[in-house]
Amino acid sequence: MISRRSMLRTGAIAAVATVGAPSILHAQTKTLKITTWGGKWGDIMKATVLPAFEKEFKCTVQADQAFPFMPKLQASPKNDPLYDVFHTNSNEQWSALTEGLVMAKITAKEVPNIADVYPYAVSDKIVGVTIFTSAIGLGYRTDKGIPVPKSWKDLADPKLAGQRGGYLIPVNSLGQCHLMMLGKVYGKGLQDLDAAYKALEQLKPIKLVDFTGQMEKMLLSGEVSEGVIHDSGVLRYEGANRQPVEFCSPTEGVMALEQVLNVTPGSKVKELAFSYIDYMLRPDVQKLLAEAVWYSPANKKVKLSEKYDARLLTTPEKVATLIQPDWKWYNARKDDIDARVTRILKG
Amino acid sequence: MSFGVDRSIDLRHDTICMAAASHRPSPIAWLIAPAVLLFVLFFVLPFAVMAMMSVYSGNPVTNPNAYPTTRHYERFIFDTAGIFHDALWATLRIGLVTTVISLLIGYPLAHWMARMHSRLGHALALTAVIAPLLTGIVVRTFAWMTILQDKGVINTTLMSWGVIHKPLPLMYNEFGTVVALVHIYVPFMVLTLIGVIGRIDERLEQAARSLGAGRIRAFVEVTLPLSLPGILAGSLLVFALSISAYVTPSLMGGTEVLTLPMLIAQQVGTSFNPNFAGALGVVLLLVCLVIVIAYNRILARLSGEQGLA
Repeated sequence: MISRRSMLRTGAIAAVATVGAPSILHAQTKTLKITTWGGKWGDIMKATVLPAFEKEFKCTVQADQAFPFMPKLQASPKNDPLYDVFHTNSNEQWSALTEGLVMAKITAKEVPNIADVYPYAVSDKIVGVTIFTSAIGLGYRTDKGIPVPKSWKDLADPKLAGQRGGYLIPVNSLGQCHLMMLGKVYGKGLQDLDAAYKALEQLKPIKLVDFTGQMEKMLLSGEVSEGVIHDSGVLRYEGANRQPVEFCSPTEGVMALEQVLNVTPGSKVKELAFSYIDYMLRPDVQKLLAEAVWYSPANKKVKLSEKYDARLLTTPEKVATLIQPDWKWYNARKDDIDARVTRILKG
Repeated sequence: MSFGVDRSIDLRHDTICMAAASHRPSPIAWLIAPAVLLFVLFFVLPFAVMAMMSVYSGNPVTNPNAYPTTRHYERFIFDTAGIFHDALWATLRIGLVTTVISLLIGYPLAHWMARMHSRLGHALALTAVIAPLLTGIVVRTFAWMTILQDKGVINTTLMSWGVIHKPLPLMYNEFGTVVALVHIYVPFMVLTLIGVIGRIDERLEQAARSLGAGRIRAFVEVTLPLSLPGILAGSLLVFALSISAYVTPSLMGGTEVLTLPMLIAQQVGTSFNPNFAGALGVVLLLVCLVIVIAYNRILARLSGEQGLA
């Protein structure tokens, strides 16, 4: 016979088990904390890529899409960092390395798929490993009667006064890349800042924005006829989504806008973090994401569909046109550059 | 005799009871406790952390090598970069211009609404004032961009009519920034002023007019001074919001506008220097405090110390 006391005890245990079970299960499942982009990239990551990873590695992934990530990582303790995998552009990885927040190098020993990446993905200009890259060049309207650009110098065409677009250099790495490219095109090289400043002066009046999405909008609305942008920001407007915009890879070369993954030294799930990077470098995952957002995959073995293969950097010859900035050099003098370009472009 | 003793006992008893009551928190203290707690947690504490960070070379919590320094303040004061003082002046200028224009637009509107006798009319006008607040600042700023940009509604229309041949510079400058800020902050001014103007007895103005004052004189000498507390509160609110605005100056200002909040965001988000950002935050707060205190005193003096200070 069931006594009232035993029934109450059984009920209490059942209640505790019901309430506590999810957290007990959660405690047994490893959690990987990552940063990742939003937009279409974020949609595919959340809908397909991350659930498949969670299933295969029996873990949960917490993805932070709220940029900027670096200040949040800075504010968290190094021995218990806010992120395990840090996904940013290359310039921020170098800043993070300076503060000891990410690993200096990742090799094929930790991430086997690194053996299949193009050399640029793990070059001495990269902290961590590049999983995708975009080409920074010139986007232009095809319906405004402007000459088709071939060189970076074409942006200085007087006919484009007030119709050209660039970035607020202190806050946008495409703007910083453009400044370095001006040094190369008009001076002795990427680090010839005097030549770059002089060339920047000649680009006035220029409409400046702080992020690439806004440049896309300005090109699409015709607010600018030509502007600095990455290839994926233009190439995605094709097919049913066709717009009168086109991308030009200038003859002097294109700057690399790398998507870089790295692991935080204090991560408690380092092996899982390396597995995630390896997973992101798998050919099938690379193809899925590359064709969704028009990014060039870093893995040499990826075979993209014809239309993507024709436009993206998928051969050693095309990859050779990429110019990688020295972000360590740039970051070391960023404050001075910021002040100088602000004075040049104001007024 | 005994009567006297009894009375002294009563008096002592009353005194003890009053002392006990004075030590017991009043009910109103309990009611404001959540607000005080929020203020301490989300203003005093973060500000203290920010002020501490501004006098350190790095983050003393995560970096054991961080040391106390005044270099961030020196960087601002000596301004060898040549942009920080300009940014401070631009911040204050935009704040003042936005406040004055908001007042000029908001006061007549608030006066009209406060004197409106139709309940329906008042409700409709109030809805119209509040409506912009139902949309986010980013969305409203993007809306202004579509109106003011070179290919925007105004320039396209004027060019299609042949009134102008090249776009008017309506955006990527202080003009566009102030226009968008005024649109965003006028409702704060109006809502603050309505309550104050509504409480002014209309008969005072009528009395002034019956004594020979014209409409304008009655307004200037009676209504306006009595509404000074509302002007003060509304102006301070709009000024504080304008000088701390980040999204609108960033999107509308282009290269022509650089304010302290934009510089602070740059230091945190792209230069990863929270210590200098902290110093800029402290400077902005101190400068604003000085302006607010001065403004408060001037208005108090103008209104003959009507409970403003």
